[in-house]
Amino acid sequence: MDQSQLAMVVPRRYLLSEPPSAPVMASSCSQALRHHVCKSSRILRIHLQKSYRSFALNSAADQQPAVSSPEEIVIPKKKTWSKEAVLQALASAVKRDPTASDSRFQDDPYLTPKTSSEFKLFSLSQESGRNAAKYFINTYPKYFQKDYAQPHIPCLMPETLEAQIEEASEAALIERIRMRKVKAAVDLYDQLLQAGTSVSLDVTNQLLDLICFCGDHDPAQENVPEQRNEETEDVQDEPQAKKGRAPKASGLLKATWKENNNAERIFALLSEPNTHSYSALIRGMVKYGAYSKAFSTYTDLLNNRLKADVQTFNALIIAAPEVKEKYNEKWELIVDLLKQMAEQKVKPNLLTLNAVLKALRRCGTLGKSQAFPVISEMKALSIDPSLASYNHLLTIFYKTGATIQGQTDILQEVMNEVSGKSFTAQDPDDAQFFITAMRICLDTKDMEQAYRVHELLGVGENWRLLGNDFQQNIYYARFFSLLCMMENIDVMLKWYRDLVPSVYYPSSNIMRDLLQALDTDNRLDLIPQIWKDIKQLGHANRQNLVEELLILMAREKHNQEVQESFAECALDIKKIYDTGDRGKVLLSWTAGSLSDLISVLLAAHRRQDAWEMLKLFKTHNRVPSEELLNRFLTCVKEAGEVNQAVELVQISAGFCLPETPKLIQRVQQEFELTEQQRNMLSDLEIQTFNSD
Amino acid sequence: MYRRLLINIYQVRHGFIHTQNTRLPSTKCKERESFAPVIWAPCTARPLGTSSISFNENKESSTSLSEDKEKRPEENEAKEEVNTDGQKSTEMNECTEISNATLASQLETETVDRPEDSKQVEKTKSGKESLLELLGAMKVEVTTVRKIRPSKTPRMSARADQEPMESTHSMFQHATAEGSQQHGTLNPALVAAVSAAASTLPNRHQAESELLKQLRKHEAVPDTQRRADGQNIGHIIADMKVGRRTNGRSNASPTSHIRFDDDGKGYTQDRGITGELDAVRRRRSPFTSKRLNIFTAGMEQDTLSDLGPTLWDIDLANQIVQATNQTPRNGFEEMIQWTKDGKLWQYPINNEAGLEEEASVPFHEHVFLEKHLDESFPRQGPVRHFMELVITGLAKNHQLTVQQKKEHIDWFRDYFRQKDDVLKEAEA
Repeated sequence: MDQSQLAMVVPRRYLLSEPPSAPVMASSCSQALRHHVCKSSRILRIHLQKSYRSFALNSAADQQPAVSSPEEIVIPKKKTWSKEAVLQALASAVKRDPTASDSRFQDDPYLTPKTSSEFKLFSLSQESGRNAAKYFINTYPKYFQKDYAQPHIPCLMPETLEAQIEEASEAALIERIRMRKVKAAVDLYDQLLQAGTSVSLDVTNQLLDLICFCGDHDPAQENVPEQRNEETEDVQDEPQAKKGRAPKASGLLKATWKENNNAERIFALLSEPNTHSYSALIRGMVKYGAYSKAFSTYTDLLNNRLKADVQTFNALIIAAPEVKEKYNEKWELIVDLLKQMAEQKVKPNLLTLNAVLKALRRCGTLGKSQAFPVISEMKALSIDPSLASYNHLLTIFYKTGATIQGQTDILQEVMNEVSGKSFTAQDPDDAQFFITAMRICLDTKDMEQAYRVHELLGVGENWRLLGNDFQQNIYYARFFSLLCMMENIDVMLKWYRDLVPSVYYPSSNIMRDLLQALDTDNRLDLIPQIWKDIKQLGHANRQNLVEELLILMAREKHNQEVQESFAECALDIKKIYDTGDRGKVLLSWTAGSLSDLISVLLAAHRRQDAWEMLKLFKTHNRVPSEELLNRFLTCVKEAGEVNQAVELVQISAGFCLPETPKLIQRVQQEFELTEQQRNMLSDLEIQTFNSD
Repeated sequence: MYRRLLINIYQVRHGFIHTQNTRLPSTKCKERESFAPVIWAPCTARPLGTSSISFNENKESSTSLSEDKEKRPEENEAKEEVNTDGQKSTEMNECTEISNATLASQLETETVDRPEDSKQVEKTKSGKESLLELLGAMKVEVTTVRKIRPSKTPRMSARADQEPMESTHSMFQHATAEGSQQHGTLNPALVAAVSAAASTLPNRHQAESELLKQLRKHEAVPDTQRRADGQNIGHIIADMKVGRRTNGRSNASPTSHIRFDDDGKGYTQDRGITGELDAVRRRRSPFTSKRLNIFTAGMEQDTLSDLGPTLWDIDLANQIVQATNQTPRNGFEEMIQWTKDGKLWQYPINNEAGLEEEASVPFHEHVFLEKHLDESFPRQGPVRHFMELVITGLAKNHQLTVQQKKEHIDWFRDYFRQKDDVLKEAEA
């Protein structure tokens, strides 16, 4: 460093008032500059502290010395964020918009679903489009070799579905196992054995796993698009697994464990089967329904002085209720298995707990007494129950269809346990909890708990555990029928506006419940609004729903404004009756619906429209009621339309109603008739008299 | 009688409001509100002589039931008189207090007042039967406690505000057996400390009031509790009434003692056994029930050789994923999904994403490629010239890795080696 520059800079630190950004001579090198800034900033800091202290002393209330000492600033360590951290923060800031549809449909407003069937159709077609693309890529990989992406994106590239290694070797066997080609793998294994090549125990165990998992069947060919149009979830590391799913679900029912299948054969070939081999075999047997065989295999395992692993025990606990008849025998077997676990020093896991609870569902009253001790036991082993455990617990205590007496506490206790917690999925049954809990709320008519359940759904990632769209529908349907039953209409409508149709498309039954709730709370004036929703939700073609709506509208007198809106609504309904869908008539007029509609129109003084409607009785071969005609006549009288009154009587006579003479009498008395009309009426009178 | 009592309370309350307004903007006003009907009964509702007696009766019943159960109702009547006497004396006390408060700093008169007050009580007491002495003694106890304290506490201006009210307040508090003892004992000490602290400061009054304000904040919680008690006074009186009815004039039994809750909940018999059972049930959650006792808690597991996730584990994960709702709720969640799939640039954005293997290669390996031209290429001539152009191009190429660049050069080396004879012919 230049001496002169240093000399210039150093004196500056004695100038306390010098700001840190004071101009330094342009010639000073960067080092000198840094030195200067450092010094002056330190001086400034000391100065500030001094003034702070004197300030602190001045304020008498605070006797404590200033805590901050001239410590070095600790620069925090660099934090490495996960690659999703930014997005997660952003995503957590987005709240659900009750006026918008699901985010899946926001790309194209034309494809915004309005009804539940549209929702299903659109969401599935989106998925199936993806699957179709994947199918083509995988079927014709040679056309999709060009890799545009930089960096490389493996999941966009075609998967290799054909075995690459041809010669018979252990590597080829591993490859076939990885590709879940059961038959090919078994064949190759046999070839290897015949050739005298020994296969290592690990690989054999993997092969056993594969055979037992698939039940000695090749998983149905996954490249069939129509079987895969359910939602694909991305498990990137194992794309094969998801493909085997749809066929597996259907195949599970048919496939059974066959006597001496390849798994048993290969197992018998093993000179020294280990725990893994036994585990694979037992789990396969349990999966494919060979329960007693699984237990005898387990006895074999014990005879060979081996220990079972936790998965084996889980499988056996699942199988336990199948092999015993009586409730107490089932339970004893489970307890026995648990004791053996403890003996063999196998630590149970959450799935053990859930398996036991699931088995207890089939143990009758024993379940109620043993469920809580089981949970306590697992808690003592610091296994926290998942939602599936609570689901099993609730199912144990609340049987469907059974009358519930004094069991309400259990739901409350469960809610006390779970409320406010965020759960992650650990068990496939986790997704059952919410619909079970809501069912119980509906059964017990417990609005308070229902709110708690719904609140729990909003905590953290719990919404994921509500399950797929189908389950969501069940859940919300239960929630809504409970709301319709128990809540007053304002609260009900608040929920309705919040959830419909952005997350839930109510069925026509729920809409009927809603109408009844409106009726109970005397808020029939909301019917026109609800009718709009009904129309939008695609329930306008439900005869009973529409008729119910008409009955409610026609039943009582309302003020003029409401009647006016009712009349608009009624005309709208009439349109639905008239048009039909693609020439097919969806709704057919009944006498009741016609007369309800006419009385709604009459109440709103829409005589002309009502008159048009009255003619429909004739065209649809329906008979109007006397009451309706009387009401009509009153209305006609108010308007003073003599001609129409006479015509009305003629219509009535046309239907040969017994009321006709009275109507004639009324017309004769109440209207000023011309001579011609008078004659006509007396003619009619004679006619009806004769017909009688 | 009950109705009369209530009327009395209302009147008393109204009276209280007036007095409160006229009197102190005191710190203790709110606190006192709860006891207002009792305290101010003699003061403001003076014309309602009988009703104030009925008040006393009730007070008496509560004290007699809770404190000394053996007392007879007939004696209660007698005691009422005593009490009214005592109250009259306290009335006087109140009056002096009012003057005290207005003067605010005249402490000496206050301390003189105090013994007088207690003496008056004692005087009235001395004339009565010996059985009544028990109650009297209790009262004296209370007042003596109050009497001693002022002498202990340093006499500061703050105390002048607090003390007079404190004393009567706590006295009736004890008499009605519904106040809390600790409130009375805690406060003077605090106030004393406050004034002591304040005296050290130059601006004494201001500092003191500030500190007291701070103190009041701390007392806000018990204050609100007490206010709730005050609101419940109607209930308390109602309960007392029922208690008297049912017991009639007989001995106050221990069971009736239970019925009176000090915390203002009042009559509890209606809740009965079912209510208690409910409470018991609530306390014992089934989730804390006994366990099976099969496993031992600190059990260690024999670790099996883990070969990574097996087919079964993958299947389980799949089932879970399938069972749960994995559809993204908004665009960001969809982007998270894409990030996990590797379809999206990762945040935070890094221009070198996907170039991980190149990260360890220093830049000069990329740029200075002359070292690869050494031995196998001619030192000069068109080939050398060409190759120099090649490495210049390669040095500027950011698409290729160093390995690829080397391979590129190697290819030319091979090529020129193959064409060696042709080159030699051409150049000679």
